[in-house]
Order: sequence, then structure tokens, then C-alpha cells
Amino acid sequence: MRLKIGALTVSALSVALVASGCSETKNESGGGEAKTNVQAGAISYDANDNKAPAPAVEGSNKGGTIGVMLPDGFEHLDPARNYVNVQQLAGQLLYRTLNGYREDGKGNLKVIGDLAENPGTDVNKDCKVWEFKLRTGVKYEDGSPVTANDVGYGIARSFSGDLSEGPHYIQQWLADSNDYNGKYKGPYNGGGDLPPGVTVPDAQTIRFTFAKPHCDMPYAATMPTSAPVPKAKDTKAEYDRKVFSSGPYKIKSYQLGNSMVLERNPNWDPNTDPLRTAYPDGFKFDFTLQADQASERIVADAAADQSTLTWVNVPAPVLPKTTTAGVKERVVQGPTQYTWYYYINNQRIKDLKVRQALNVALDKEAVLKAIGGSAAGIPATTLMSPTVAGFKKYDVFNVPPAGDKAKVKELLGSTTPPPLVLAYANTPRRAAQAEAARKSLEAAGFKVTTKSIDSTNYYTEVGRKDNQYDLYLGGWGSDWPDAGTVIPPLFDGRQITPTGNQNLAYFNDDSVNAEIDRIQSLTDAAARQTAWAALDEKIMKDFAPVIPTNYDNNYTLIGSKVGNAFVSDAFGQTGLSNIFVKP
Amino acid sequence: MVRFVIRRLLLAVTTLFAISIITFLLFFAVPASPAEVMCGKNCSPTQVAQTEHRLGIDQPILKQYGQFVKGVFVGRTYGEGDFVRECPAPCLGYSYRNDELVTETLKRTVPVTVSIVVGAAIMWLVIGVSLGMMSALRRGTIFDRIAIGVSLVGASLQVYFLGLVLLLLLVYSTGLLPAPSYTPFTENPGKWAVGLILPWITLGFLNSALYARLSRAQMLETLSEDYVRTARAKGLTKRKVHTRHALRAAITPIITIAGLDIGASLGGTVITESIFGLQGLGRSAVRAVVELNLPIVLATVLLAALFIVVANIIVDVLYAVVDPRVRLS
Repeated sequence: MRLKIGALTVSALSVALVASGCSETKNESGGGEAKTNVQAGAISYDANDNKAPAPAVEGSNKGGTIGVMLPDGFEHLDPARNYVNVQQLAGQLLYRTLNGYREDGKGNLKVIGDLAENPGTDVNKDCKVWEFKLRTGVKYEDGSPVTANDVGYGIARSFSGDLSEGPHYIQQWLADSNDYNGKYKGPYNGGGDLPPGVTVPDAQTIRFTFAKPHCDMPYAATMPTSAPVPKAKDTKAEYDRKVFSSGPYKIKSYQLGNSMVLERNPNWDPNTDPLRTAYPDGFKFDFTLQADQASERIVADAAADQSTLTWVNVPAPVLPKTTTAGVKERVVQGPTQYTWYYYINNQRIKDLKVRQALNVALDKEAVLKAIGGSAAGIPATTLMSPTVAGFKKYDVFNVPPAGDKAKVKELLGSTTPPPLVLAYANTPRRAAQAEAARKSLEAAGFKVTTKSIDSTNYYTEVGRKDNQYDLYLGGWGSDWPDAGTVIPPLFDGRQITPTGNQNLAYFNDDSVNAEIDRIQSLTDAAARQTAWAALDEKIMKDFAPVIPTNYDNNYTLIGSKVGNAFVSDAFGQTGLSNIFVKP
Repeated sequence: MVRFVIRRLLLAVTTLFAISIITFLLFFAVPASPAEVMCGKNCSPTQVAQTEHRLGIDQPILKQYGQFVKGVFVGRTYGEGDFVRECPAPCLGYSYRNDELVTETLKRTVPVTVSIVVGAAIMWLVIGVSLGMMSALRRGTIFDRIAIGVSLVGASLQVYFLGLVLLLLLVYSTGLLPAPSYTPFTENPGKWAVGLILPWITLGFLNSALYARLSRAQMLETLSEDYVRTARAKGLTKRKVHTRHALRAAITPIITIAGLDIGASLGGTVITESIFGLQGLGRSAVRAVVELNLPIVLATVLLAALFIVVANIIVDVLYAVVDPRVRLS
């Protein structure tokens, strides 16, 4: 998943989407705890795992209100339009989805059934037909039952071009086309209430039939698209502001860009919900504060803010205050699903030795320091983020993060590298990173010219196949814990088009393309994960098409009365489903 | 007077039309598409085109502008099929970011900015003008010197410095004041005032420094006029000369500047709103520019222009009221 443009400039909302993580925690000098992860990313069919209610949290307390500070607020909460990590975390409080992630903050993450009794049945064992049985007794906020038809209708309306901001996996798989709404355009434009390929044999069962195998369906079913929406309650564009709750909370008040207050949904039954403990009586979201103000307030820990947390990274000027006693214990940090790369334009830099030399020359520490150092991330050596299942740590070049000038010379030998154009989005953070990168590359003997691009146009510009740049920064995060949402979009050369590319290195190799096809055909998740990790290393070892720069890090704060706050490995931000207010 | 006001209003309407056309043209000169900015992951060209269609930016600019103007006066219908939405007049469109009616965004953000500016303006006018006038009347005294010194310091400071220092001292370190926030006046006047006291103090102090210097200079100049001496020679008391003659003349240029300052500030006190975390018009505008959110950009630019134009008209009328020498023609 590429970061949304807004994140380049505003940094308030990173588009996240689902990934997975795992975690062994360790202390870092920056305060709080940083995670280094090796995730298994299991899809669990174990009855115990799928059993409701959700396991009780040790030391938990029921009651109180959790405050959440998030600059500028949500773009969308309508499940058909919800694709941003913090929006998805808020959405979990309001609606159930077919599947979900069970996490305990100790590195255990499993995909289990949420509305569904289990993560889905692969009916013919070919990943083409998937069936989900809904739990009984799940109710909406008005006490009416949640039905499979409502899930189908929710997916049907997500085909509408008017609600296109959400994830499109299930739609594309059903339509067997990236242009998923070419024929069926959803119920608002003459289509039926169920999209082609979706059937509802009975009120508790929904079945998906795909033209091709999609073994990732249990992961795709964790996304908000699979939330139920009863047709009678579909207020179309207005649904974004007042979703009809099937989760533990409902919207009490919502002022866009200002605040949102959630109160308990009296018809939510914990005995039907394996994921949410819903300890607080309510949540209060404050969208008015910027990162520095929100962080300062939580650092100060005044009585009114003690049960409040931030959903925005602590900005550099406030970082020093987060290392002091009394504050550092309240830092919540851990890796997100994003890895940042300097993409090398392989159409222009064709010499492998030069690409390898660039990898060795870049001072990743300096590039990271320009945006906050260890609080912002840790230097990367792989394509996948550590939060992706099957992640295998390797370092092809085995040089310090600050680079190795001697090795650059050794790699280049008598080759004179061409002058390079390094493009960057014209925001203060990206400009600082570009300058750090330029300095380190020039110190290693490269000639580098930097080129500023308007941040709103950055990905459009570098996404043109004929762009005239050699190096440019870009972030990508997996949508779920499988590198199938990382390697193919970034390194399958057959997907390169004249404009709008995700493969920003413009890397195209037949052997890699063939291996991608082979791995995607594997139905065994563990085998697939191992193969992706091997391909990750092979790409860097044999082609070095990018410079992995850093793994992204979440670094936020909580008040002293917030309990069970940890970075969700699935969403890269503090989860709310099992949080509580300390007495 | 009526003819004057009508003429100014017609000029204001023409100005706003011109600004709306320029903003429209500038927006489309930017080499980026809001549809691409909005479009999610793996967005195919077809989906980008769909998004452009939904936003209405696939139409020729002239047609889009015509629809915009029509929407302002008679409202507009958005969407197709069963997904039709009525946008009642004055329709300024929907935000590209979150589909909120722009008029709703303005209803939310304008009161914040107005509250900041009105409170601060009262502060800077009362304190600044009084201080300047008193300083002029006590020229050369210790009071005058201190007032001039303080106003020099105030005039040298910036909002982002003083605001942050006050936040640190009064909110984060000592907790003497609650963190700035906006509560509608109609909901709780006390909370409204307490939440805005810091922005008022900051803006009020900085601007009152400028107004103190300006008022002092104007008053000194007026006091040296022949008619003031004549009034004193005729036996009028100092107090009468100062209040009835000198003050009235000295205040007219201050009214002009205050009107323009207030008008411009109402268009968005971006830095103040950002420092104190208040969601006013200025912050909304900055965000809209970053996100290529044309409906919000257009609405805020037009509103800012409207504030300045209206402030000008009010200043012109007040000018005549305060100074009978000025005739409206």
C-alpha cells in the first residue's frame, strides 16, 4: 500500500490497511518500547480461537471514557469508503466484519471469524468458492438481527462509483477485473442487491464465487467492505456520518473535523463477539489539535487528559520530552506495515553495479535522522516490513546503516556512475531527507541533482513510466500479512503502464515475474510465505532495484490512566477494541 | 449615502465574481488531479475517470464554473441514478475530502475565526488606542516612555513566538489556563471566553502594540494642528479639545486600518489557529490547498474577499460618520 499523498504533507493520516505483525518487545533509548517482529500471521480455524466472548484483559476495568486525539479527523467511516488505518480502528468499534484480527499486544496475531463463525470455508479446496457462516444473535443498534443479506448488500454498494474510496479486493475478485464496476455498478445504478458471484443460501450464510483462486479471502474479509449494511438503513452519502452500528458502540454525536462521541450500543452482546471486550463506556475523538499540541497535552498528563491517547506520531520538537521519567512509560511505539524505499529508476540506471553501489552509499541513518531518527523508524535492508508474515531478516550488502564508501569504490571499480537526479516531494520532511541522501551519495562519489516536485503531484509524476528521475522516495505497506500485497505490486514488471505505476523502480525481469506467478498459485499459506521471503532476498541480491531505506515506526502517547494500549500489528496504530480506563 | 452603499455593493459583487474566476483558473492550472489524489490503492484509469466524473471535474472549465455560479444562486443536484443529492442554494459544493457540504464546513469554521478576531480586535483596539492616546497626551513622561518601549517589544514579536511561549507557560507547564478550545458562544459563553483567552491575549497584545504606536503618532500630529490651538485659545478645556476635536480627527485613519485588519483577519488567522489548535477558516483553507480541495479553496477565498470588501464599505461609511469633513459621493 502506497502512502496517500496527504500523508506526504499532512502526516496526520497514513493510509494503512491491514497487515500483520508480531512482536517481541524491547526497550529503546528513545523511550517507551520498540518492537522487532517476526510474525507468523496465522489464519486460525481453532474453535477456541474463534470462540466468543473475547478473552478478558488482565487488570482490566470497565467504565470511563477513552479520549483520542487525531488531527483533522476522518475522511470516511462508511465501510465501503473506509481504507485508512485509524478509520478502520474506529470502524471496529462501530461495525463487525466477516473476519478480524485477534491481538494481545504480545505478538500473537490471528485472523479469526468476527461476524463469521470461522475465517471462511474454502468449499472446493481451490480458493474459488468461499463460504462464511454468521454467528447467531448478532444485532444492530435497534435490536434487529444482522443477516447475510446485509453483508451482501454492503459489498454490493461498495461497487458504486460514488463510494469508491474503500478497498477493492473482493469487488475485483468477483468481477475478475481491476475495473470491477464496468458491468455491475451496484444497487444505486440499476444493479441488484447482491453482486454477481455472491449468493445468500440462508440468513446466516454468504457465499463468494470467484473466477480465479483467491486464497487470501480470509484476509480480504477482515476489511471494512465486509461489514453488514441493511438496505433499509442505507442513507447513501449520509451513511458516512451515521453508520448503523453492529459493533459495541454507536455514534452519539459526530461533527466532521471537530469531534465524535461514541456511546454503548445496548444491543451489542459480548457473547457474540470474539474480538472486542469494549471496556470503556464511551469514546471521545478530538479532531481539532495538531500533532504538537496533542503530544504536549499528553506529555503534561493533566487530569482531563489522563484517559486520552494520541493517534499521531510525536513530532520532532516534542520528542525530547518523551524520554523523561513519567512520560517514556507512556510512549506507545512499534513498527507499522510500511517500508520506505529510494526507488532506483531501473530504466535509467541499468548497471547492476551502480544500483548496488547506491545501496551501499546511502546513509540511511542520516535520511532517518532528518525525520526524527529512531522514533520515525529503523534502517531497512529488506523489501518486506517486519510486520509481514514470513518476514526474513537479511542484509545483502552487509554494510553499516551509515554506508560504506570503500565498498562503493570496490563495487564501481573503473565504472563512472552517471549523474543522478533525485526527486522529492516538496514538504519539509521530504526535502530534509532528500538533502541528507544527496550529501551521503555525493560523499561516496556520485553526482546528484535534487529536483523538487509538488507534493500533491508527486506520485503522479514519479508514476509516469517516462519520468526523468533516477531516485525517488516512496513508502509501501502490505494490506494484510502476506507479501502478495507487497512484492507483486512493486516488482511485477508486467504491471508497468504508461502512467499511474506502483512499480516505481520500473523493474521487469522474467524470472521474477514467473516466480510471482508460481508463488501466487500456492494454496498453502506457510509455503507461500517462505517463498515470498526467498523472492524478497533474491530480488535484492540479484537486481538491487531499490534502496530499502527504513521500516516505518509508530510513536504515539497515552495518558497515565489508559490501559492495554499497544500498537496493533494489523493496523500500525494503537488499537481501541480492548483498551480500558484504569481506575 | 444609499447610492454610495449600492454602488459599493455592486463593486463588491463584481470583485467577488472576478476572484471566483481567477481562483477557478488557477486551480486548473495546477498540474495535478484531485481525482488521482483521492483515488485509493491500485486505482485504474477507469476509476480515476469515475472519480473525476463524480467530482464533476471532467467537464470543461467554463461549464464547471457555470454550474458553480448556478449552484450559488439556485442550488445544484449532484450524483446519478439512486445516488442523487440535492445541494440547496447557496450551494458551494461538497468537500472533496470528506463529502461534507462546503456550507457546513463554513458554518463550523467561520464562527471560530470570527470569535478569535472579534475578541482580539476588541482587545487590541481598546488597549492599543487608549495606550497610544494617553501616551500622546503625556508625551515625554515615564508613562509615555514605558508605553512606547512595551509597544516596540510587542511590535517586534510574532504570533508563533508569543503564542507558543504563552502556551508553554500558562498551559503546559503551570496549568493556569486550560488548553485553548472552541465552544460556541451560544452553548456556554464562559467556556467560549476561557477557551479563547490565549489567542485573544496573543493577537491582542501584538496588534495593540502597533495600534498604540499608530494612535500616539496620529494624536500627536492632530494636537499640533492649528485648529486645536485655536480651540484652546478660545478657552475650551483641555479635556473638551482632546475628546471632541483632537480624538475625532486622530481616530479616522485608525478606523480605516482597523477595518482592513479585521477584514483580513476574518479571512483566516492561519498561524493563530494553527498554534492554538483551533479549527477556523484559515486552517481549513490551508488544508484544502494542500489537498487540492477546490470547493473549500473557492469558498474560503471568496469569503475572505467578502470580508475585506464588506470591511471596506463599513470603514467608508464610518469614516463619514466620525469625520463630517468627509462627504460620501
